[in-house]
Amino acid sequence: MNRHAGGTKRVEEVSFAGEVADDMKPAQFDYIAPTTIDEVAAALAAAEGEGKIIAGGQSLMPMINFRLVKPTILIDINRVAGLDRIELHGDRVRIGATVRHHMTAADAIIRQHLPIVHEAMHHVAHMTVRNRGTFCGSVAHADPATEMPMMTRFLGGTVIAYSQRGRREIPAAEFFVGSLVNSLEPDEFVIRVELDAMRPDAGWGFEEFAKRHGDFALACFATTLHCVDGMASDVRVGMMGVGETPLRLEEIEGIIEGTDVSEPVLDMVADRLAGILMPNTDIHASADYRRHLSGVLAKRALRAAWSRAKTKGFKHNE
Amino acid sequence: MIHQDHSVELRPKLVGKRVKRTEDPRLLTGVGQYVDDMAPAGMLHIALRRSDQPHARILNIDVGDAFSVPGVVAIYDASDLEGEIKPAIPASRMPGYYATPIWPLARGKVRFVGEPVVAIVAESRYAAEDALEHISIKYEPLPFAIRQVDAAKDDAPLLHEEAGTNTIIRREFKRGDVDAAFEDAAVTVKGRFRMTRKTAAAMENRSYLAEWDSRKQSLTLYTSSNIPGVIRDVLSGCLDLPGTRMRVVAPDVGGSFGGKGSLYGEEILVCALARKLKRPIKYISDRLEDLSATSQAFDELIEAELAVTKDGMLIGLRADVIGDVGAYSIYPWTAALETVQVVSFLPGPYRMEHYRGRIQGVLTPKPPTGPYRGVGRPSSTFAMERLIEMAARKLGMDPVEFRRKNLVRAEEFPYRTASGIIWDKSAFQECLQGACDHVDYPALLRETDKARKEGRWIGIGLASYAELTGIGSRISVAPGMPINTGTETSKIEIDATGAITAAFGISSHGQGLETTLAQVIVDELGCKLEDIEIKHGDSSLVPMSSGTYASRSAVLGGGAATLAARNVKAKVLRAAAYLMEQSVEDLDIHDGIVTSRNSNLTMTIKEIATAVYTQMGRIPRDQREDLTASETYDPYLGTACSSTHLAMVEVDPETYSVKILRYVVAEDCGKIINPMIVDGQVQGAVAQGIGAALLEEIVHDDQGQAVAASFADYLVPVASSVPDIGIVHIEADLPNNIGGFRGMGEGGTIGAPAAIANAVSDALSHLGVSVETLPVTPERIFQMLRSKIRPLDASPQP
Repeated sequence: MNRHAGGTKRVEEVSFAGEVADDMKPAQFDYIAPTTIDEVAAALAAAEGEGKIIAGGQSLMPMINFRLVKPTILIDINRVAGLDRIELHGDRVRIGATVRHHMTAADAIIRQHLPIVHEAMHHVAHMTVRNRGTFCGSVAHADPATEMPMMTRFLGGTVIAYSQRGRREIPAAEFFVGSLVNSLEPDEFVIRVELDAMRPDAGWGFEEFAKRHGDFALACFATTLHCVDGMASDVRVGMMGVGETPLRLEEIEGIIEGTDVSEPVLDMVADRLAGILMPNTDIHASADYRRHLSGVLAKRALRAAWSRAKTKGFKHNE
Repeated sequence: MIHQDHSVELRPKLVGKRVKRTEDPRLLTGVGQYVDDMAPAGMLHIALRRSDQPHARILNIDVGDAFSVPGVVAIYDASDLEGEIKPAIPASRMPGYYATPIWPLARGKVRFVGEPVVAIVAESRYAAEDALEHISIKYEPLPFAIRQVDAAKDDAPLLHEEAGTNTIIRREFKRGDVDAAFEDAAVTVKGRFRMTRKTAAAMENRSYLAEWDSRKQSLTLYTSSNIPGVIRDVLSGCLDLPGTRMRVVAPDVGGSFGGKGSLYGEEILVCALARKLKRPIKYISDRLEDLSATSQAFDELIEAELAVTKDGMLIGLRADVIGDVGAYSIYPWTAALETVQVVSFLPGPYRMEHYRGRIQGVLTPKPPTGPYRGVGRPSSTFAMERLIEMAARKLGMDPVEFRRKNLVRAEEFPYRTASGIIWDKSAFQECLQGACDHVDYPALLRETDKARKEGRWIGIGLASYAELTGIGSRISVAPGMPINTGTETSKIEIDATGAITAAFGISSHGQGLETTLAQVIVDELGCKLEDIEIKHGDSSLVPMSSGTYASRSAVLGGGAATLAARNVKAKVLRAAAYLMEQSVEDLDIHDGIVTSRNSNLTMTIKEIATAVYTQMGRIPRDQREDLTASETYDPYLGTACSSTHLAMVEVDPETYSVKILRYVVAEDCGKIINPMIVDGQVQGAVAQGIGAALLEEIVHDDQGQAVAASFADYLVPVASSVPDIGIVHIEADLPNNIGGFRGMGEGGTIGAPAAIANAVSDALSHLGVSVETLPVTPERIFQMLRSKIRPLDASPQP
């Protein structure tokens, strides 16, 4: 390796670039930054399952640096126009593939139509991660203890995948297969996630617990519900951090639906959660503690959601 | 003696001022120079294959196609280095101690997950990492005991067969008749305390670069170490090079907290390979390597019991400690550093006659334990202060009153503790009072009672402790260790331009010593702050040095600087007296200007330097002397630094998360050189102590694997984990030490875990549980409340 001492500014920059290369940790890979989704699809297909899409890189790069993942090519979608938008489309909110967490957190459409997502964004890592990481990238990474997959599962989300074979809509229930496993085909990538917008009269509650602010959740409970004639209606319940995938808990929704969300109902919810959840034990928490925590968070979230719903409920009665 | 008059006394001193750190402009604007910033021409890089086995015999190493990777220069295992180096032996005069030799690469066996086995040298780190993938190592797994209680058993598999046992350390400290004291005691309390294993987690990972100079046949090692002098001395032996051909430089270093305060095999490795290949060799550890192979902390089981009279006087303490020392001794501190300090400091700042502390240090297949900010005392203070609170509670006394009764009083100093440590004189009682006054303790108690009536789980906890800092030559920092930790040298030179260089053997790595030592010199010498350059972190500066550790550098470095500055000042004044035709007694220096009280004549230090050095014959040759001095300071005993921490916490009754509501530290570090730096040290160390109390834990599973492999799993405190910290400074005078300085860089980590553990215990006291393991995580509180198998105190009430 020849290094040039001194010289012009340009030479110094070249030698600095060489220094960075010396310190790289990943296995070798090629890199391409297409400008259209068709070029991305072509590159991904050509990689024959060995390619990886990179947007924010906040989950992928650590895995690549640990050599847990060794893609032959990184396909950078940041230069594809039009993927960095959040749009309201009828009663669905569309979030494009290069929308960063900080954009989601600050977005007016999210704040108005998905206040629970706005709230959830407060728990997403730290500023540096939020500045780079993307909503869709986190969904594709399918970590069962992160907020975006949970919101996608919980809010009736659909993942829009794209490949040379065309567009495919994957319901969230089918998208999240296991911990860090999704149902994308090797030649498919995510161009957008669509979520149900919340009704204006929805009450919502979001409770996440982590050892430090911004860490992966030990458990998290989210709910939306409505108050119709003093009873809970159209209840949704989602959880994360307590299973191999983000969870939508229809059984729990059934317990709450049609009730006045009183403390005995909350006790039933907590008891039932302890019965149906099968969380992991790891160095941060035991399965038993996570089950206990789930009941605590469920009660807190449901109380908050019900309190919000009640103030809006009678307005909604026409 | 220097002539003193009122005008001198009235002049402003820099010692005691909040002088901005002179090292900060370079460090904060990105122009500091760390090891990884250096890239000499022709430099090669090392990547290491580390063991994925806790205990196994190496049967075969196959390099496969590793040499096919472009840029790979060489691949080494231990057998390639046998003739190149001698191992480092962390010897000790402790009876029965077995010092495991330190080799850079595993020989025959591996003994922890993360131990280096194969080194690949390549033109780039990237190529070296690529080549690592081609290496396959065939192991024969060997049985092992991963927990210290199992490793200490007679039939446990041996980690080092040569030692004949896993228990390589056994010591006992005792005074009086402790068992009799317990028989007479009105009240006894006991517990089984455990501070789990930690790692220092400095911002900069360990980094090494060795350069071989073929012309001089000499080596220079650039290292992220905080003990470059110790490293030079030991490498001189390992590599058989005299000090003139073996230089060790610690450039800017991004923190150590103890983790960089020992010799590492990688330091031997880069040196040996630079000499062998005659090219510069760099090794930079990544975070995974740092978490799995940098020396770790604590990990003792402490069974301790305290005996108290019915009116609340401490009479006896007995403790049995099993330390999990990891797989190897470290150089120079030995494997006994942490555990021996636990029993040395367990009696704390209290008056107590009868004591017995026994330790066993047990080898386990984990990274070696070593220095970590506070060494031993975070664990001993945790155990003792929990016992103090438990005893106070059992007696129905307020824990503050109980401490006040038992802390050594001003008139009792110097006080020899039951373990043999001498507390010279320190503000034990005043710190307790200072912390209580700061928070208005009675009001805080009322606030707590009120909150509890509302169903909140609130508690207050205190921790009082004393530590020995600035230790001189009377005691070795580590037991029986054959290196000198008791002296420090300062070499001050005024050159021909009037600039002042002060060279030290210390090695600042975040402490701000370039600023504080310059402040001391300014006051002694009378020069300007900006005219001084402080040099440190380089073994070539003074004949013998060790480095910066054990809260020693302000005490020893400050003392040496004072002596050398006085000496140089005397020479400047003698020259000035001749040049100005004044009597020496009438002269003084301030702001770099020599003035006389009998004349309006002045001369600058620069003018005097020019006269001395440049203007031949200006001073007669029999009177002319270089404006230089080298002085060594030995404080002999060392000095006590003491503190009381007070924490108020709230435990969530449902999630069991712990929130710190109030925190105050009242500390006596003697004469404060720079209050801003002292505040920074307190804040940083308390943050680190909060990590130990609530978050941080190195976990090895039953298979011997290190489970916390990144900062997603090893949880260090973040900004939201740390409350506002109130700080009360108490400056007790210290007539026996030059300058009156006490060391204070470690205290926060000593007091915080104990204070928080006490506060959490207090918050949970109505539930009948007691915090005995740290970190006290939500999981641990959940488990304690669920089982309640341990009553608050096992011994019967008389």
